[in-house]
Order: sequence, then structure tokens, then C-alpha cells
Amino acid sequence: MKKKLYVPHPGHDDGLKLLISDAKRDIYSIFMAGSPDYIGTGRSNMSAPEIADIRAQTEYAHKNGVKVEIVLNSSCMGGRHLTPEGFNLIHRYLGELDGCGVDTVVVADPFLVETIAKDFNMRPVVSVLSFVDSPEKARFYEDLGASSIVVDPDVHRHFDVLHAIRDAVDCELKLLVNEGCLYQCPFRYAHFNFFSHAFGPHPRPNVLDDYYYERCILLRIKDPRLIINSPWIRPEDIHEYAGITDVFKIGGRTHYTNWILNCISAYANESYDGNLMNLLDCPKDLKDLYYIENKDLDGAIDHWKNCGTVCTDCGFCRELTERTVRVYTGGGTADERLVPWSEVVGGSGISGTASTTGTASTSGAGAADTDKTAVRA
Amino acid sequence: MITEKLMEVRSEIENSVRALLARPVMVTELDVFALPCGCNGMTVNIRGLELDDIEVFEEQMLSHFREVASRLDIPPSFIFARLIPGSSVVAAINWRVLCDRCYPEFARARGKTPRPDIYIMHLERRGDKARKGKMRSGKM
Repeated sequence: MKKKLYVPHPGHDDGLKLLISDAKRDIYSIFMAGSPDYIGTGRSNMSAPEIADIRAQTEYAHKNGVKVEIVLNSSCMGGRHLTPEGFNLIHRYLGELDGCGVDTVVVADPFLVETIAKDFNMRPVVSVLSFVDSPEKARFYEDLGASSIVVDPDVHRHFDVLHAIRDAVDCELKLLVNEGCLYQCPFRYAHFNFFSHAFGPHPRPNVLDDYYYERCILLRIKDPRLIINSPWIRPEDIHEYAGITDVFKIGGRTHYTNWILNCISAYANESYDGNLMNLLDCPKDLKDLYYIENKDLDGAIDHWKNCGTVCTDCGFCRELTERTVRVYTGGGTADERLVPWSEVVGGSGISGTASTTGTASTSGAGAADTDKTAVRA
Repeated sequence: MITEKLMEVRSEIENSVRALLARPVMVTELDVFALPCGCNGMTVNIRGLELDDIEVFEEQMLSHFREVASRLDIPPSFIFARLIPGSSVVAAINWRVLCDRCYPEFARARGKTPRPDIYIMHLERRGDKARKGKMRSGKM
């Protein structure tokens, strides 16, 4: 499938050179964080490139036929952008980015979408943190001036909604293929608001622990079904979205360049042999706990395309989890091996965690399992 | 090499807690530490564990932790879980040999949670140790 790939860039000069030298032909655009001193982002910052760096990197990328996108997608700015001082500061920074020749800027706040569309040459992209999950919301942002919308991953497996959004707007739609966050994540707003402040302008909160992250990890260790039904899109499945868009974004700007190159290769070739966890931006910790052979998930998309997502009535992802998820044991020792997840939970299957995760299955795959044959092993 | 031993201990702790809970947990990092005050010990950063789990299996966990600690020559005098404050999420299990300055802070504390982020699983009071020693030597 012919497609445009937006790929993450950690932000340092060497990283850009490596990405371009190894994968130039597969990269349509790179994206990286701007300076957190003006507007935060939805991720921790590996680097905070200054304007001179951004200018030099933009020139280099353009010379190689690659576009540049700056991510300023704070989901909460505490109202600072609406004060005269805040407005002037942010407006000046946006002007400097524009002067660098940056192609697009990803923002989450509607105010910034409108300001960028109105006052600058670079084009505003609506962030995944604007949670565009309906045709109505998409139209709202397009009317504000958005040139592109990164659709809320929660609707990645709701093809009816995706087609409705496609029909509602003319602007570009982008799908973030490998975010790996919880489906209908209850922490999403609070976590990204926290990130926006923790990795945004001063004063930054000096927190002890990232509660949302720790709780999210705990949930998924207890019940790996939450990894299976999170709305990532496998490299093999992106052609299923051909009627919706040909623009795909790979998340992961806090990862090493080699990790990014591995993802680019997988999505450019639309195929990956190995652990699905190696492709997911988040949660990266769990790649050393779970092994999910990507190819074992072939065909699951056929079910998800028609899935009602009432997980309590459907055992599909439970059954898939039992069959595909393996757990590392003895990690780092001579005895390291992979054991089926069901073996770790003492043969009790998913129901072994039902009481602790609030799920309602009473048997391994659930009495109401549907369409188990849809997935080819 | 000490790192090889640590790798084995990391895996062993992970496996033992998994066996107790019948579900995966992950020891994301095992660190040995020495602080400027004189405290030293070991930290087991763990994911997938909640306070409830510790409360239910405290005795079994403690018995295993004590055994591991003594194998690493870390006297298991103070073992506690570090929680994410305000939640039941366990971030780490610590084996700490308290220095003379830090010991009184904990020794004077009452109950198992002297701070919102600490759940004491085991604290050997120095008087206790001395008494036990005297009992063993028949001097009491």
C-alpha cells in the first residue's frame, strides 16, 4: 500500500542523520518535540532543541525530501496562553518555528489550532490528545483551520466511526498506529494533563511517582487482555484502513533510534516477525515480561472490524490472549524461557484474574465467546 | 560475579511472588545501595503487586525475602514495601540495614505505615535482637 509515514525523532542531530541515512525512502515526515519552556507535550522530553537546532535540522530534513513536524500538544496549559504575557510568548515562539521552515505543528488546544491556521505558514495538526472520535468533532477542528487530524485511537477498531469521520471532513486524517494505551483509558485525561505540566513550562511539579503509569502497568500485568484489546494497528493490517487514510504515524519519540528504525521497517514493509511488544510505544517496560508473536494475531482484525466492543459479552480478546501471550520467566539467567500465560496463572486462564480486574468471565474463555475461529493461529 | 548472583536473585524473587499470587509480576530492577548516612541494603522494584497481595501473603513473602537477604549477606532487619502514595500500588520492596541515625525514625514509629508510602513488613528492634541474643546465651 502506498502510504505516508510520520516517524518519531528523539530530537538530537545525530538521531535525525541516522534516521534519514537508514530509512529516508520510507519517511514522509519526522516529528519531534519543541522547547518545553513554551508549550509542553504529551510525552517526556528526550531533548529540548533550541530554535537554531530546529532550523538546522529542518534544513537537513528538507534537503533529503523529508518534512518536519513539531509537537506542542500540551493538553493543559493552565490558561497561561490566554494571558497577554503567555499569548505573546507563545506567539513569538510559533513565529520562530515558522521562520525555521517547519511544515506542521501538532497541537491539542483548539485555540492554538486557530491561531496557527490564521497567523502562520506552517499548518496546524490536531493532536491525538484532542480526542477526535466523532465526525462532529472532526468537522469542528477542520472549521478552525486544521490541515490534519490525528484520530483518537479509541476508534481505530470502530470502522463505522472512522468512515463517518472520513466522510465528514476533507482534511488529512492520520492514524497513530502503535500507541498501545489502554482502550477507553480512564487515566488518559489526568495523565496527559500531568505530563503537560511535568514536561512543560516552569514551574514543574516535583512529583514522587507517576501514579497513572504505575497503575496502568499494574492493570496490564494482572490482565494482559488489556494489551490485546488496546487499539494498536499491526503493520500487516494497515491496508485495511486504505479507504480512510494513507497517512500513518508511528509513536515513540522517547525511544532509541534503533527501536524507531525497527518500527519504520515493520510499517513500511507491512510485516513484522517478532514480539508485538517491540512495536508498541507504550508500555515499553512490558516487552521484557510478555512475548506476543505478531504473526499469531493474523486475522484478528476481521473480528475487530465488526466488534461491538462490549467486552463483557464477548470472549474474543480473552481467548486470543490465552492463546498468544507468553511470559518471560528466569529473565537474564541461563534458565530464561517463555511460558504460556495460562501456565503462569496456574491453568486458571483469564478467569484467574477476573476478580481482581473487575471483569466478569466465569470460565477460561468466557461462556459468551464469539467467533473464535476468526483468528488463524 | 555479584551481578550474576543478582540476576539469579531477581528472577527468583519474581518467580516466588508469581507462584504465590498465581499471576505474573515483574521485578523491573534489583539494586544494591549504600547511602551517605550509613544505611545500606537492596531495593526490588516490582510491578504488578498491590498492598492487598502483601497483606494476604505477608508471612510467606517475608520468609522468602529473609532467606534471600541472608544469602546476599544483607541482614534482614528491616523489610518494607514502598507504595505509590495514596494508592495500593506497590512500587518496591526494600531490605534496609538502618544506620544509627535513621534507626530511631522507624523504631519510634507505631503501626505498619509510619508514612503514607511505607508499609513495614518486618522491623527488628535493636532491643529485641539484644534480648534474643541474651536469651540464646542464657543470660536472661
